Amino acid sequence: MIWQQLQSLVGSYPLALRGLGMTVMLSLISLVLGTLIGFGLGILRTGGNRLVSGAIGAWVDLIRGTPFLVQIFLIFFILPEFGIELDAFTAGIIALTNLAACFICEIVVAGIRSVPTGQVEAALASGLSRWQRMRQVVLPQAMRIVLPPLVGQYVLLIKDSSVVSAIGLTDLTRVGWLVVQRVPNGLLVFFLVGVGYFIVCYPLILLARRLEQRMGAAHGEVQL
Amino acid sequence: MAIPDTSHYCLLTTAYSLTMLENFSFRTIVEYLPLFGQGLVTTVWLSLLSFAGALAVGIVLAAMNLQRGWLFRVPAKAYIDAVRATPLLAQLYFLYFGLPRLGIILPELVVGILALSLNSGAYVAEIIRAGILSIPRGQVEAGVASGMTYVQRMRLVILPQAFKVTIPPLLGQAIVLVKDSALLSLIAVAELTRAGQLLASDRFMPAEGFVTIAAFYLLLYYGLKGLAALSGRWLGLAGART
Amino acid sequence: MTSNRSKNGAGMIEFRGVNKWFGALNVLKDITLSVEPREVVVVCGPSGSGKSTLIRCINGLETIRDGDLVVDGQRLGDPATNMTRLRTEIGFVFQSFNLYPHKTALENVTLAPIHVRKIPRAEAEKAGRELLAKVGLADKVNAYPAQLSGGQQQRVAIARCLGMRPKIMLFDEPTSALDPEMISEVLDVMVAVAEEGMTMMVVTHEMGFARKVAQRVVFMDAGAIVESGTPEEFFSHPKTDRSRAFLSKILRH
Repeated sequence: MIWQQLQSLVGSYPLALRGLGMTVMLSLISLVLGTLIGFGLGILRTGGNRLVSGAIGAWVDLIRGTPFLVQIFLIFFILPEFGIELDAFTAGIIALTNLAACFICEIVVAGIRSVPTGQVEAALASGLSRWQRMRQVVLPQAMRIVLPPLVGQYVLLIKDSSVVSAIGLTDLTRVGWLVVQRVPNGLLVFFLVGVGYFIVCYPLILLARRLEQRMGAAHGEVQL
Repeated sequence: MAIPDTSHYCLLTTAYSLTMLENFSFRTIVEYLPLFGQGLVTTVWLSLLSFAGALAVGIVLAAMNLQRGWLFRVPAKAYIDAVRATPLLAQLYFLYFGLPRLGIILPELVVGILALSLNSGAYVAEIIRAGILSIPRGQVEAGVASGMTYVQRMRLVILPQAFKVTIPPLLGQAIVLVKDSALLSLIAVAELTRAGQLLASDRFMPAEGFVTIAAFYLLLYYGLKGLAALSGRWLGLAGART
Repeated sequence: MTSNRSKNGAGMIEFRGVNKWFGALNVLKDITLSVEPREVVVVCGPSGSGKSTLIRCINGLETIRDGDLVVDGQRLGDPATNMTRLRTEIGFVFQSFNLYPHKTALENVTLAPIHVRKIPRAEAEKAGRELLAKVGLADKVNAYPAQLSGGQQQRVAIARCLGMRPKIMLFDEPTSALDPEMISEVLDVMVAVAEEGMTMMVVTHEMGFARKVAQRVVFMDAGAIVESGTPEEFFSHPKTDRSRAFLSKILRH
């Protein structure tokens, strides 16, 4: 019986590959967009404007305070009521990008705040503009603090992408769910699904750990 | 660069976006309020149970992970890495579809609590381990110098100090756990998110359903966040953050 | 910029009745002070007397509550004054150096010339090397701040200011974070800068430096200028009890 199941599993490998491809694609697109937007939000949040900063803080809190599943449902089911028709893929990308952007915003804010004020004053004193100060002085130093949790955040993002299976996207988790209807061996099927995620996530986890050690060792005095 | 408290902005944004929805039916929400209430209660107590389970799993794993010999350390590390590198949803399905295969038939609710405990336990283990490792070596040496055994050092010197630093990140993990518990709705556990789904599908009112439960989750979130801030102040930790 | 200097009076730096508060604390009280072009003014006084705040106001690191502060003919706080532009004319040397830790000595010196003055990189680097040679660090061009001693870092910081070819240089206790044996190497560079005719305001307790190059010593206490005169007058015949008490304390060290 196990033999038959294995055969049947091997037969569904094109589906599994498609699922893995979907997971990687979802994660990759929202990772890139989320990073860009997250950095932008983080920079704006530490900028002088109280209103902008408060609004971003509120939005980030809203996203951090609610389950991702609920956010997906909200986007997928409610945006159409505002006249914005979405397919599941776009809804998934929007939800994941938004989630990533909010968490990355917080990481970037912590990084920017870790840069001593003397550095900003020195840049100010030599007449660097706001953007030049950020680009040349603050961000390069903030990156030490930002990089390890940023990579950790990517791992969370890839794992969170599994939740979009709830709106019917055929990602790796959804494939497991489909296959288990035909091959009634949940242990085996979801073990294999787990292996799929592990292959993608584990190298990133190791990378995050390496970065953390390197940054901690090289700049121990800067760590707060 | 002081950042103002943002909770009131949150409420404002939510209220504003609601006014943009035509036909938003507060009446239906009120009508379904008992259902939401039950869901909220279920979410709270299943989260509490799961968190207790996570603490148990985490303490055992952390103890294993801190051993010098590989016999306990390697399996603990492997477990923690496996959990951290795979999504909770896949773990949940693994148990949900897998346990019956082993002849273990459990109610969905129990499977859900089990999955949350085993998942969060791995993160709790890392928090506890980091807390213990944050105690300076000099403390251990002082304990050794005064002739304490390993257990005495742990109980009298290390753990009381480690306890302090782990409280805020543990509350952070509790926040994650409460949010993660929403996934149990996907195996039909009648918790908060499930209540929202019911309203969405019974009455075709997804806005009412999901906005309401989002508000409930925010309530839990701000509660736990406030608790984390308070605990930081009580424990005298500088810069305690969640 | 040189053209509109004349119409606002002769001083390179002009304080007229300047006041500043930190909360209820009056940190600058009715400051009136004029610094002529090419003049070197040393500001001293006990800690908390407002001397650092005084010079931090000049390049807008602190803002003033009332009174007028005119620098190089431009009034601070005036909407017509482009603060960023004005800052390029004012070098500022910090007590804690504030070199950019992720950039080499040369990159520290060339950053602002390249990005603010828009000088071509090759030209800026040539000038940067010359400046580093001038402060005695020709061999440290590619060193990172963490690889330099305090005295060397402060000399890079001075070269960084000179790289912008400023009209004014401000020094905020440039030697007080240094080990004693490194103080003279920094002071020597400052003397050289002063002798080239730079307008300078220096917050320092290095009285040897004041004697050597300052035209004027300003003594501050509790946010006010208590006494002002030539170094000779100030050191030999301090006029107030407070300045006498202060001098007896720092000269004993």
